[in-house]
Amino acid sequence: MSFLRELGLMAAGLVVLAVLPAVIHDVYLRHLLIMVYVYGVVASSWDLSLGYGGIFNFGHLALFGVGLYAYGMLTKLLGLDPWLALLASGAAAALAAAIMAGPILRLKGIYIVLVSFAFSQLVLQLIISESDYTGGNSGLVRIPALAIPGHNMVRDAKLGYYYIALGLLGASTLCLRLFVRAPIGRSAIALRDNEEYAVSRGISLARQRLITLCMSAVFTGMAGGFYGGYFRNASTDVFGIGLTTLLLSMVLLGGRATIYGALLASFLLTFLAEAIADLGAWRPIIIGVLIILVMLVYPGGLHAALQAGVQRVGTLGRRRTRPLL
Amino acid sequence: MTVLVQILLSALFMGSLYAMMAVGLALVWTTIGVFNFCHGVFMTLGAYVAWQFVSPDAFGLPMAVSLPLSMLVVAAFGFLLQAAVVRPFIGRGDVVLVAVITTLAASSALENGTQLVWGPRPLGLPALIEGNVDFHGIGISLHQVAIIVITPIILGAVWLFLNRMRLGLALRAVAQNEDACHLVGINVTALYALAFGLAAALAALAGVFFGGFKFMSPQMGTEPLSKALVVVIFGGVANISGPIMAAYIIALFEAISTYVIGFYWTPALLFAVLIAVLMVKPEGLFSGRTRGLA
Repeated sequence: MSFLRELGLMAAGLVVLAVLPAVIHDVYLRHLLIMVYVYGVVASSWDLSLGYGGIFNFGHLALFGVGLYAYGMLTKLLGLDPWLALLASGAAAALAAAIMAGPILRLKGIYIVLVSFAFSQLVLQLIISESDYTGGNSGLVRIPALAIPGHNMVRDAKLGYYYIALGLLGASTLCLRLFVRAPIGRSAIALRDNEEYAVSRGISLARQRLITLCMSAVFTGMAGGFYGGYFRNASTDVFGIGLTTLLLSMVLLGGRATIYGALLASFLLTFLAEAIADLGAWRPIIIGVLIILVMLVYPGGLHAALQAGVQRVGTLGRRRTRPLL
Repeated sequence: MTVLVQILLSALFMGSLYAMMAVGLALVWTTIGVFNFCHGVFMTLGAYVAWQFVSPDAFGLPMAVSLPLSMLVVAAFGFLLQAAVVRPFIGRGDVVLVAVITTLAASSALENGTQLVWGPRPLGLPALIEGNVDFHGIGISLHQVAIIVITPIILGAVWLFLNRMRLGLALRAVAQNEDACHLVGINVTALYALAFGLAAALAALAGVFFGGFKFMSPQMGTEPLSKALVVVIFGGVANISGPIMAAYIIALFEAISTYVIGFYWTPALLFAVLIAVLMVKPEGLFSGRTRGLA
């Protein structure tokens, strides 16, 4: 697909999502869509490092947490303007990613999983132990909300937050797609597919990993900041294994190295999780079994399944060419 | 003096629990080459199944019968689980990553399954041996003493199994060179199942140990799993004694650090040291360059 056509489709998709609130008046449904967008940003950014970069970064949710706490502490303790803090939360997450990149630049495979996991635990422990600033185990509460001048964010049936989240999703998707199409993204893919050859052609492994990780952190951190402004509290729950599992399954269910697959999966999983919310403990069981089943049946994820479906529809009605013999 | 003994006892006790968890994790990692995130849930299941057998509210069997029964049940469970969520992906290029997500998904499902079957309220197992002893002015329960004594025996048995018995040697062979194993007619699939089952049984034993001095909850396996992870990274898996030594070293480090700099900073310090170790020696402190076992 040419890039212009892709941009056109992206713009069309954004317009459709932008007029959606005109049809959907239910506040709760809008809240769910906001969560879809936030998870979509985080999952698709994760897809950049995991799918395109081939870096098994298991500390991605820690970057989200860094953004969340950066926003909370900057607005609450320093009284920074929430919008500036939202930008700063992206920068803070990128900085954290650069620190995390340090130890894993020369590691491979499962060791990257382990170090990035250890890094996320380290961040969590720091947050818990520095309770004077972060609120420790009880978290930060009454974080200042995002504000639009002349607009009441509380009595607008979540319209304000809906558009901020959508704007974040649009900016993130555009930047991620541009990144993977640019030479810098191409060389990251080259490193993933054939490290020795790429290095021998003069691509710096360390530099590429650093840039890819930082890029995947920027919008993840901003999504964390938005999360803090939206819920107005920050807790260490975001470091839990539950959220990591959910988002990782979005990346893998959607199909790796697609960006759009993660967005699709975040939509489906968020609504599925909500649809069966009153099943209590059965809910994680159903989702867990579903993830395993999809991995068994569609190794390429939903994106590949969808493409196969589209292809099949495209060839409907045409005469099948019979194989020889 | 009292402080020293206290630190040592705590290190021995926690080290035993960490080692019991870490050995199973390392076994699966080396044999199959995947990281099993279900290991914590195996521990939880071990504790709950033992409760089901031993509790007067349930079957009311004696502990000496319930403990092996629980290990057997959980081992069978581990066998079934690897057949469902690990074996189908073996041979696929992205098996490491896929196994991470499938075992994570399975552990989330099982944790909630435990909650459905036994309920969210905390349960308790009876101690292996009731009573307390006084040791240089420090009271310690006989349950803890039993764990400190039993663990090295069990781990020694595992070591003997891997080094002296044909089956154990075959397991190490799979860890070292799978293709060659196929060539000489070793049943690799069966050994995968054996590794998973054995690991699950060891985790179940650790679960019974835990349940005897702490209240059980469906989430009880999460923290020991992350500790075992640290131990395995720290010690490396090339050698079965690597994670065992690392378990006791880390427990000692924790005990000292908790005494000197306090409870809150200890985990942060531990992880910082871990990252430093990995930067210098990514294959673990006690291992050579190859993926192997024992």
